[in-house]
Amino acid sequence: MTRRRTWLKAALLLVILAWCLFPFLWLVMTSLKLGDRALNSPDLFQGPFGLDNYRNVFEQDFQLNLRNSLAIAAMTTIICVVVGSLAAYALARLPLKRRLLLLTGVLAVSLFPPVALVPPLYEVWRSIGLLNKWEGLYLPYTAFELPLTIFILTTFYAAIPKELEEAARVDGATPFQAFYKVVFPLAAPGVFAAAIIVFVAAWNEFLLASTFAPRNPEIAQTVPVAIAAFTGQVEFQRPIGTITAACVVVVIPMVVVALAFQRRIVAGLTAGSVKG
Amino acid sequence: MTQRGSGLSERALARVFVAPSLLLMALVALFPVLYAVGLSLFEYSRRRRESFAGLSNYTEALGDDRFWSALWFTLVFTVTSVAAEFVIGLGFALLMNQAFRGRGLTRAAILIPWVIPTVIAAQMWFFMFNVTPGFINSVFGLGDFSWLGQPGWATFAIVFADVWKTAPFVALLLLAGLQTIPSELTESALVDGAGRWQRLWYVTLPLLRPAILVALLFRTVDALRVYDLVAVMTGGAFDTESLSVLVQQYVVRTPDPGYGSALSTLTFILILGIGLVFVRLLGRDLAIGRGETR
Repeated sequence: MTRRRTWLKAALLLVILAWCLFPFLWLVMTSLKLGDRALNSPDLFQGPFGLDNYRNVFEQDFQLNLRNSLAIAAMTTIICVVVGSLAAYALARLPLKRRLLLLTGVLAVSLFPPVALVPPLYEVWRSIGLLNKWEGLYLPYTAFELPLTIFILTTFYAAIPKELEEAARVDGATPFQAFYKVVFPLAAPGVFAAAIIVFVAAWNEFLLASTFAPRNPEIAQTVPVAIAAFTGQVEFQRPIGTITAACVVVVIPMVVVALAFQRRIVAGLTAGSVKG
Repeated sequence: MTQRGSGLSERALARVFVAPSLLLMALVALFPVLYAVGLSLFEYSRRRRESFAGLSNYTEALGDDRFWSALWFTLVFTVTSVAAEFVIGLGFALLMNQAFRGRGLTRAAILIPWVIPTVIAAQMWFFMFNVTPGFINSVFGLGDFSWLGQPGWATFAIVFADVWKTAPFVALLLLAGLQTIPSELTESALVDGAGRWQRLWYVTLPLLRPAILVALLFRTVDALRVYDLVAVMTGGAFDTESLSVLVQQYVVRTPDPGYGSALSTLTFILILGIGLVFVRLLGRDLAIGRGETR
């Protein structure tokens, strides 16, 4: 390949970079504009600039939304990883009757549209008091993210050499000890990948969150619901400054996580789908 | 095996390990779906159960123009956004597969639209398309063109936002598939005198088939569920109400558990049906392939 072709391809990569990153330049610049400047001027670089919008975000209790989302996503992740890695290990390694039927069932659940749960779960949650509760959200999230967790982890467990457990068994370990002392630590990268993907999915969920906990940041309203629901001084007008500032507050840590764990995430995403 | 002291046998352990997952999915995913079928057979006024209604909620739903228009929007959205994401995603993946300089950086950047919440993407594109401040209009010199305030263009804006967020994700999945194709194959086609497009069409794409099908399955099922973008960008106005938005209306805004459940059951059957048709087409590549990975 000639030198010029190489550079041409690098230039084409710039198109991909711009596609992925440009909207964030717009977001950051807009969030920094003062007063009603953001609403009146489409020019990205026209000031005055300042941090007023960010102050506004936290005056509207956004830190409580962050707390709720963090707790709900963390609970979802913990339950999914613990429960899912047991199931994945059984599917990948242990003698199990009707394995194919189980896998088909798990696959079917991964095809469920979440909206099918909204009317019935709302009635159930209402009668047992789980509306506006963390539990009311992380329980269904767990059920929805389990299939993906199981698929990702089954792939990772299947890739660990079987001889290792057999050696442990010969040395006198029970099947359970062989799992949690030998295989589970070796699968840690896979578990970590699954954990990030589940966490992101739970953190981003909007349909159930906006139906089961639409208001009250001090109880269970999550970040996406708050970002969709910010109200301004004028009714019927979305407060562009507050919303964009809140978006930046959320996007920055997520971008850092995505960049830091890039390889893990990509490995997990592809294990959950392409490799099948 | 050699050890027969304490601890469960492998067979018993397998059952114990699978049980919690099955229990959770049965209780929080399967049970509500069945419960919805039960709810849908009753007549409600507000939230009070009035009487047994048989299938009248279903006949009412199937006779409702709003249901058909939501179904139509959902299908249009799914077909156009998945097609655009596939073409753009494949283009990105092919580029990234060939480039040497800057691949790591691009690969990192491509994760960013995937990682951010859809609600944030929706707000971002809402404001960029919106008349005030009119960013897109000012870039293209369109004056006060109202993208979000008329049928057709509102759909376009929603599809656009979805393509922006998800085409990179499709690229990621296809890139992983591309990297499993041995370069000898395309090189030998090159030696045989195949042109660029011939190599793509006769060598790369057929080998990429499993990755393409899986990406299409995931994206189609996901696009059929569209809710966040519509709820934030138009609220379902201007012929952009999706099935998910329609069902959600009958839960909080105009509560009717019976009618809402009938709609949600119809939506469930439709989306699961399309998903299963896909899985059927994939057959060997997916479910059975998974069974054999052990």
